[in-house]
Amino acid sequence: MILLISSKYDVSTNNVVRWLNYYGINYVRLNTEDFNPLNHFSLSNKSSKLTINDIDISTITAVWHRRGRLRHVPNSLNNLGKVTDYLKKEEDSLVKSIETYLRSTKKYIGSYTSEVENYKLEHLMMAKECGLNIPNSIITTSKKDLIGFYNSHSQIISKDLRYPINIKTSDVSINSIGTFKVTDELIQGLDEQFAPIYAQEYIEKEFEIRVFYFERRFFSMGIFSQHDEQTQVDYRNYNTQIPNRCVPINLPLDIEKQLLSFTDKIKLNTGSIDFIYSTDERYIFLEVNPMGQFDWLSKNCNYHIEREIAKEFMEV
Amino acid sequence: MKSNIPFKLFVNCVLVKGANRSTICDLQRNDVRVIPNDLHDLLAENEGKTIDEIKKQYGNEFDEIIDEYFQFLYYNEFIFFSKQVDIFPKLSMEWADSTIINNCILDIDENSNYNILNVLQQLNDLQCRYLEIRNFKSAKIEVISNVLKFLKESESSIQSVEILLPYFNGIELWIASTQEKYVRLHFVRVFKSPFNKNIAPKGDHKLHVMFTKQDYQNELCCGKINQSFFSANMLAFTESVNFNSCLNKKLSIDRNGNIKNCPSMQYGFGSVASTKLKSVVTKNDFTKVWNISKDKISICKDCEFRHICTDCRAYLENPNDHLSKPLKCGYNPYTSEWSDWSKNPLKKEAISFYNLQAVTEKP
Ligand code: SF4
Repeated sequence: MILLISSKYDVSTNNVVRWLNYYGINYVRLNTEDFNPLNHFSLSNKSSKLTINDIDISTITAVWHRRGRLRHVPNSLNNLGKVTDYLKKEEDSLVKSIETYLRSTKKYIGSYTSEVENYKLEHLMMAKECGLNIPNSIITTSKKDLIGFYNSHSQIISKDLRYPINIKTSDVSINSIGTFKVTDELIQGLDEQFAPIYAQEYIEKEFEIRVFYFERRFFSMGIFSQHDEQTQVDYRNYNTQIPNRCVPINLPLDIEKQLLSFTDKIKLNTGSIDFIYSTDERYIFLEVNPMGQFDWLSKNCNYHIEREIAKEFMEV
Repeated sequence: MKSNIPFKLFVNCVLVKGANRSTICDLQRNDVRVIPNDLHDLLAENEGKTIDEIKKQYGNEFDEIIDEYFQFLYYNEFIFFSKQVDIFPKLSMEWADSTIINNCILDIDENSNYNILNVLQQLNDLQCRYLEIRNFKSAKIEVISNVLKFLKESESSIQSVEILLPYFNGIELWIASTQEKYVRLHFVRVFKSPFNKNIAPKGDHKLHVMFTKQDYQNELCCGKINQSFFSANMLAFTESVNFNSCLNKKLSIDRNGNIKNCPSMQYGFGSVASTKLKSVVTKNDFTKVWNISKDKISICKDCEFRHICTDCRAYLENPNDHLSKPLKCGYNPYTSEWSDWSKNPLKKEAISFYNLQAVTEKP
């Protein structure tokens, strides 16, 4: 029996489920929107046992953790302000511990822990250690240093370190626009000291590469966005009128090797990885999304990733 | 344009060569361009070379026309320039689908008495995803409502329902209330309507409604090949390369309750009252038509539209040849001309074979 942890609304999960049905693979699906009662997670020197939502987890042979995490705090406790915040924090540590427990006993693909601890700087450091090219980067609280970095590159960009900003109160609404170019004007408007800003050299690209990684396999796609002003900095600023050209790509073997050692290092068995292929002919690692979408990539490249994922559970 | 860097076609812009001309089928942007066979050959033979090299190959005699071709290709983003042409593999032409039966047509008329809910249950076991219910002559709204209600309550594998029915007084009200209740209803086509009208889906409503003055008396109305039905997308194209673009993974029940590939086809596989669908769909006799791809059909296999075109195996130009071209296609790929199929003197015999006179004589 396979356990799926995902959102009710996740199209990719629905597509994989169809293939599980096709192959006659048994599964249970727990949705992250629902309250999932924790019957018990019991630990002693002699034994350990876990039952969630009346499912004895020892009957589960493998887990596909596609999105989000399970909720074990009853809905009735969701509106208690600071108390709820506290309960959620406790719940968060519980969920992570359960993941660690399951990981040590069975095949567990995907990870909530990796998703929340998706620290871009750590990944840059690891990627560099594995021999991958990374963009020149700076994190600074000082205007002087930022100007220095700005002046030593022809153009620079900025993005968030971990969380895209999304603040909505009665008088302000701030939303992340993803990656953006840093202009003279923008820098002029800054104070001498500020909260840490993450900036990178702007890399002139021939195309971008989105890699979906799953159990030591790479499904890669080239994205040609250069002709289109709207998507030059960040291809996620989708141009829905005329979509960017997306075609399958085979990463060179040495890059795949380096990527494998990278995923081993950060203990990632699935996720999306972004690269740039620069006009000066280098593959440059940008970032990882441990629970990235693959539906778009699978369709454009005719990879049938949904089926490949289902097949992965056939053997267990 | 970079004339000294190798060019490559984006792999989702697929070249299809016909007898007289070719197409570029843009599977990402659902676009089709007709191109001369000369350009097809130029691209097929020279991909990976630079424009300068190609010009030189022709002794610089055709520079102007080569430039013109490449401007057209580059402007429409069918090609790009890169020194890394080797890392871009071919597009896989594999078509895969997780259902046993993907789509189903149920015909009903005033005399139909097969158990439709039982059929729906069986379709669920076959993971069927798309359902089309066709009412010729009189509208059976009770049956339709029962079907929709059943689908809503049963968590069926059927995701999307399409309905064909004749106009009646108060039909607009009926559609409005039905669309509120059933989100899986995606398309309603009303025929013999006093007016023509097209209501596109908007907002939360996924329902598309089309009123047409045309009359659909029976299943003989089906099978027309028309440019407006062409579609260039990855799913349809790869399916057409490998399988029949109408019948693949299709199952039908005609108005008399007979199990068929398509209601218009002569051959049946028993009555649904006494035969389990599952036992039919695993029979080679039933599935063999699924494999009749356009590349196997005479004339179609020389047509530049073959993989974006629909097909019909029920009405054939030569009724005695199961690989004959669809009767209701007016295109001639050898002359690149469209004409009215029903007026073609060469098709007269086939038209009378299928008793299609009544249909063809309609305006
Ligand atoms: S000949 Fe007619 S039916 Fe055949 S592929 Fe061409 S347009 Fe379609």
